[in-house]
Formats: sequence, C-alpha cells, structure tokens
Amino acid sequence: MTRWTRTLVSAKWDAYVCKPFPLLVRLAMNRIFHGSNSGEEELNMSMGLLLVLLAVPGGFVSIFLFDKYGSFLQWLRGQTKFDPLAAALPDEYFFIALSMVVTGGVALWWWDSIFPDRRDFANLVPLPIPTSSIFRANSVAVLILTCLCAIDVNAASSILFPVIVGASEPRFRVMMQFAGVHALVVVLASIFSFFAVFATVGLLMLLLPYTLFRRISLYVRTVIVTLLLATLSTSFAVPRMILDLPRSSHSPLRFLPSAWFLGFCQLLRGRADPSLAELGHVAIFALVSACVVTLVAYTLSYRRCFVRLPELADAPPGHLGARTSWIFHLLDLLILHTPFQRAGYRFVLKTLFRNEAHALALGGFLGLGVVFASRTLFSAYNGKGSTPLPSANVLSIPLILSYCLLIGGRFVFDVPAHIRANWTFRFLLDKNIHESVALARRVMLCFVSPWIFLVAFPIYLYFWGWTVALLHMGLVTMWFVLLTEVLLVGFRKLPFTCTYPPFQHSAVVAVIAYVFGYFAFTAMTSELESEALLSPVMGEVFLVISLGVWYIVHRVRRSVVEVDEPLTFEGAPAAPFELLHLTDGG
Amino acid sequence: MLQAIELTKHCASIPAVQNVTFELKAGQILGCLGPNGSGKSTTVKMLTGLLEPSRGRVLFRGEDIRRDLVSYRKRLGYVPEEPNLYPYLSGREYLEMVGILRGIPQPQLEKRVDSLLALLSLYPSRHSAMASYSKGMRQRVLLIASLLHDPEVLILDEPLSGLDVSSALVLKNLIRALGQQGKAIFYCSHVLEVVERICSHLLILRQGAVIASGSTDDIQKRIDHSSLERTFHRLVEDVDPDKVTREIIDVIRAA
Repeated sequence: MTRWTRTLVSAKWDAYVCKPFPLLVRLAMNRIFHGSNSGEEELNMSMGLLLVLLAVPGGFVSIFLFDKYGSFLQWLRGQTKFDPLAAALPDEYFFIALSMVVTGGVALWWWDSIFPDRRDFANLVPLPIPTSSIFRANSVAVLILTCLCAIDVNAASSILFPVIVGASEPRFRVMMQFAGVHALVVVLASIFSFFAVFATVGLLMLLLPYTLFRRISLYVRTVIVTLLLATLSTSFAVPRMILDLPRSSHSPLRFLPSAWFLGFCQLLRGRADPSLAELGHVAIFALVSACVVTLVAYTLSYRRCFVRLPELADAPPGHLGARTSWIFHLLDLLILHTPFQRAGYRFVLKTLFRNEAHALALGGFLGLGVVFASRTLFSAYNGKGSTPLPSANVLSIPLILSYCLLIGGRFVFDVPAHIRANWTFRFLLDKNIHESVALARRVMLCFVSPWIFLVAFPIYLYFWGWTVALLHMGLVTMWFVLLTEVLLVGFRKLPFTCTYPPFQHSAVVAVIAYVFGYFAFTAMTSELESEALLSPVMGEVFLVISLGVWYIVHRVRRSVVEVDEPLTFEGAPAAPFELLHLTDGG
Repeated sequence: MLQAIELTKHCASIPAVQNVTFELKAGQILGCLGPNGSGKSTTVKMLTGLLEPSRGRVLFRGEDIRRDLVSYRKRLGYVPEEPNLYPYLSGREYLEMVGILRGIPQPQLEKRVDSLLALLSLYPSRHSAMASYSKGMRQRVLLIASLLHDPEVLILDEPLSGLDVSSALVLKNLIRALGQQGKAIFYCSHVLEVVERICSHLLILRQGAVIASGSTDDIQKRIDHSSLERTFHRLVEDVDPDKVTREIIDVIRAA
C-alpha cells in the first residue's frame, strides 16, 4: 500500500513538474540562484552548499551561548537568580539583526538575477508562452527562494537558541511558546529584509531610466552592504538603548528595522512596554509595506523593462576612462616603471571599480572596517572628554581601516573576473619574468596610503600635535607595509586572471587567520603603541618587536622568491572530466 | 618563416591533432579548413604558444618558439575564435592596455590606436564599455589589437565572424595587402568562398590530421573540381548534404 502510494505520488509529481508552468518556475529559480553569469567559470556554488553556509552563522552563535545560559556554569559563577527570558533580549536582538543581514546579503547577491534577463527574453519570448506566465513563474520562484532562504538562515538558531535558553525552564509550554515566537520573528525579519532589497531594485528600475539604473546599481548595492553591516554592529548598543526607550521620546531606535522586530517579538511574548509595543506595530506595518511595494514595483517594472529588454542597452554609452587618464599618466611617471606595472595597474583598478562582484566584495570589507572603526571610536569617547594622549582605541582606528582594506584587496585578487578574457594576458605576458608582487603591492598600498596621509594625519595633528601625529603615522605606515608583505608571500599571479579561487579549499582556516590577525594587527599594536607613548622604554621594546616581525617576513619572502615560480593562471588543476548534468533541467 | 613539424596534441589521451606538418612562408596566406572538431582551433593555439603540443614543434625562423616565446609573440598578431574581452573596459582602454604590454611608447600608441579606431568605425564608441559592443565591434577591437605592433606573422581564427559587409570587405582587402607586404598569414575559417578568394595556399584538416595541403589551385586541380566547396566536400566526405536535407524535411513533416 505504502509503495503503491509512493509510486502514485512520484508519478503525479513527475507528470506535474514536466508541465510548462513548473518548468518555467524551475528555470527562474535556476537563474536567480546561479545568477546571470552562470556560464562563466566564476564563483558558483551548489544550492546545497549555499544553504549550509547560510545556516552556519546562526548555529555557531547559538552554540557559543551555552556559556551564558548553562545552569551549571551559572552555578559555578554564583548566579542564583537568573531570568533566562530577560537575559535573552540582547541575544534575541542579535539573531534578528543577523537574519536580516544574511538574507539581505543574499538578496544583494541575487540583485541582477531577480528579474528575467536577456537570456530569458531570447529563449522564452519566441515560444508560444504568454509573458504573463513568465511573470507569474518568476514571482513564484522569488517567493519560494525567499521562504527557503528565510527558513534556512534561521533554522539552526530557531532550534538551538530556544533549547539553550529554555534548558532550565520546567514548563514545556513556555519553552515552546518562546521557540515559536523566536522562529516567527526571525523568519519575518528575514522576509522583510529580502523584500526591502527587492523593493529597492524594483523602485529604482521603475523610477530611473534603465541606463541610469545600470550605472548607479553598483553604488546602491555598496551602500546597502554598509547599512546591513551597520545593522549588525548595532547589536552591541541597541539592547542597552532598549532599556532607556520609555524615557527617550526621540530615540534613533524608532528608525532601526531590527529594533522594530525586537519590539514585535516582545509584543508577542507579552513583555513589551508601550514604547516597545509601538515599535512592534511599526514592524508589522513595515513588513506589509515592503511586500506591497515589492509587488507593485515588480509588476510595473516588469512591464516597463522586460517587455522592452531588446531595446535597452546592457551597458550605457559612456566616457570610460576619458576623464581619469591623466591620473594614470601621473602614476606612470611616479610609481609605475615597467609595461607590466602600467598595464596591470590600469587593469586591476578598472576591474575593482567597475566589475560588480569585485567592487561589492571590496565595499563589504570597507563597510566592515567603517563599522568596526566607528564602534571603537564610539567606545573610546563614550562619556570621556579629550585626553592629552590618544587612547589605544583611538590609535587603532587607522589600523582597523587599513587592515580591512588590505585584507579585502588581497581577498578580491583571488576572485576571477571574466576568466575567458584572460587569454590576452596569457598571450602577451612573459610567465617567467613577471612583477606580480610589485604590481599587487602598488595597488594595495594605493588603497591605504592616500587616506592615511590626507585624512588621518591632519586629525591626529589637530588633536594631539606634531609628535604624536608623526609617530603614529610612521607606525601605521610601517605596519600596513608589513601586512601587505605578509599577504603577498607566495603571490605569483595577475589579480583576477586565475581560473580558480583557492580560498574555497581553505576558507575556514583563512577566516580564523583573518580574525586572529585582526586582533594582533589592531588591538595588540595599538595597546603597545599607547604604552610606548607613555614610556620611552616600551617604545624601544615596540620598535624591536616591529623590526623583528619585519625581518621574519623579509626572510620568508626571500626564500619564496628564490623558488622563482612562473606566473600562474590556474589556482588548481582543472578536473580531467566533468559531468554535464544534462538531465538536471538547468 | 613559420613551420609546424608533426604537431600532435592529446586531450585526455584522445588525439585532437595528429602529426600536422606545414610551412608558412613570408607573403603567403595559408587558409586552414576543416569541419567542426577537426582540430583547427587546437592547431591555432599551438601555433600561438597558448597550448603546448604533446609532440612536435613550431619553428619561427628556424627556432623553436618554446625557446623564446616572448620574442616570438612580439612578432605575432592573433585574433582568437571567440571575442572574449573584458566587458567593463572601453575599446580604447583595452587597446591601450595591449599596446602598453607590447611595449609601444605612449604617444605613438595613442596616435595609432585612435587612427585605427577611426578607420574601423569604432572611434565614436571608443569610450563606451565593451559590454555595449556588438560582436562585430568586438571583433574589430581584436583585429586592431592584433595589428597594433605591425606583426610579421598573423594568425586569424574566424576573423570575419560577426563583421558587417563593409568591415568584412575592408578586412579581406587588408589581408591580401598585408600578404603582399610580406607578412605570413595563417587564416582559419569555415567560409569557403572567402578562403578560396584570399588564400594562396590551403591546409585541410579532418579528425585532427592533414588530408590535403598545397596551393589552392593545385588542390582543386588534384581533386578535379571547379569550386572549393565541392573540393572540400569531396575531401572531407563528412555527410551527404542532399540526404540529410531530405531526412530533416521528413522528420519535420512527421511531427
């Protein structure tokens, strides 16, 4: 009987998915998921891997919370009166912010593929399918992927977090209620975030000429990435501000979407005071508005753009490079001495600023740097006036920004750009006599040095005088040059031209190294420098440490250079054969 | 000037090209023909040094190109089969980059790029991103890139692909003129009429091996056919076009 039912359901399902509409939905899902450039050999993940990666942050954060909520650890700490539901408020906020950031990030990743593209137009419109069917299929695909993404991002935390918080709660009903409310709120926050990004795309497409939309699209996405990162960083301050909310009628929390959903959460739990309840109502209104605006904007911009797609140019006619060529000529005179450096520098900078994936990734690292720096600055001046000498926190600001920019730059060098076009370099460059490190060094340093000397130096000079400003700039310069050298050990390729991003193999190790490096580069260095400013002896110790690190890097670099490896265009050997997945329907 | 000696390339132990031998002299335009999968593009890649042969050698002026690939490429111009270019660069930026990598001095490079862009009708869109270029425009960019440094050898893989009628006419005349000036030109194409009209010599490949080579007239005389199309069909004997046509119509009608 069971086998018969299974066979029947399977047959019915097979018959259903072969009908035109489900096929269109699958096609749209494939396009949205893999992006418009799936044919290119660029960063392309399977759906399973992406879903796992999206679920990981929530799961990890939940596991780290055992320390806070474990009853045995509380007993060891002497915490006898512990209300887990009250203590869960900051963590609840963090999970809401995290779910919004991750889902918003996914929506940004899919920015260009949410709407049907030229390939869809070329393949589907000549077929006897009404355009309204293509529209409905795309809408269903977006809805399915939104729900899938929202559930996946929050799946681990929706199970683990309530279990950890409610472990000492004897009443099963209370625990289930806590879990249900948490799951509902984080999923709704995710959906809000996705639709907010989607509505932004739709509105921009609707209100702006198509060419202008294409031109500003990258900048809008970079701004949204920074806003999302800023939302995550509010997790450190918002829970404290929530407590002051009833007394503050003009609190900035009223404009913060993640705070709205925290209010909604507390409203559902019956723990909201009037001000939090008000935020909760704003959350409901915002969610409904985002959905309605998305629907209207999507419908109208579909009519406006998809139907007219053949008339619209993919890239606007412009004046690329016409106004900036003098900068390159100036750099040719100052720092770019060979044809390799000159051509490579132009190629790298233009790729970084014009190719969306690279600009977004670098913008993300810069946004992260701005968020960390502003948080550090906030804690440095929290209730304190100006001091005769800068604190370690204040000293760390240029180091934080340098670190994030340099790591970001090095990271994006490994991400290929239009890999099939790299034949130009394979054809023209001498593999054995290359200056890839010299080129990469110039690019990385040009990202950091201008703003340090033009922005940071005058600020330190204004507040703390010549001695502190000069010493600090000297140290920052030395450390960012040192970090650049460390990051370029073993580097032997032209950025963006390598076929395979090696970081896929060692992503976890790289992330751990980046995190430790961050603390070593920013916190430890600035603490030592702060001590050195107070005591000349510490200053000498600090100088010795710096020179020691420099010497080690120099030795390592020399030993790598001695190997004299040729320029490479492949991060990993290509597979001897590949499956074509002809039956996947993709 | 350029010699291929028993060029062989195995891809996953399957021979893509086997024992291809020919000579390209100065002033000669050698047309390379063959059906899909006959090994034309693999041969071209080996001639440019982009692909290392499993066996055999390519000699330039009697020297193996692998001994000094860079100096060989300084004398070589290449138009690949597919116009794969960086879409976010403008045509002028791309050409400037290629010119710098070729070591052409900046003022001379700018003048030459602008003149060639104007002559090939690309000057008005020189600052637009190549993403907005048609296939023919990208093909013209590649053509300029291959000619910027006045090469001695030109390797052209389907150079007319996507070009409009007047650009194609200019290119055909240009190839003939360059040949007369003493350049060695290796011309790979499917368009038999063009090959027949501009190539002085032919190399016909089938399943990775040379099945005919020599002057165009000689090959046609040997096969005893008046047109290159018939000669090619006779040599390759890939399919019977009349039979396949009939079968296609039968299948359509049956549906």
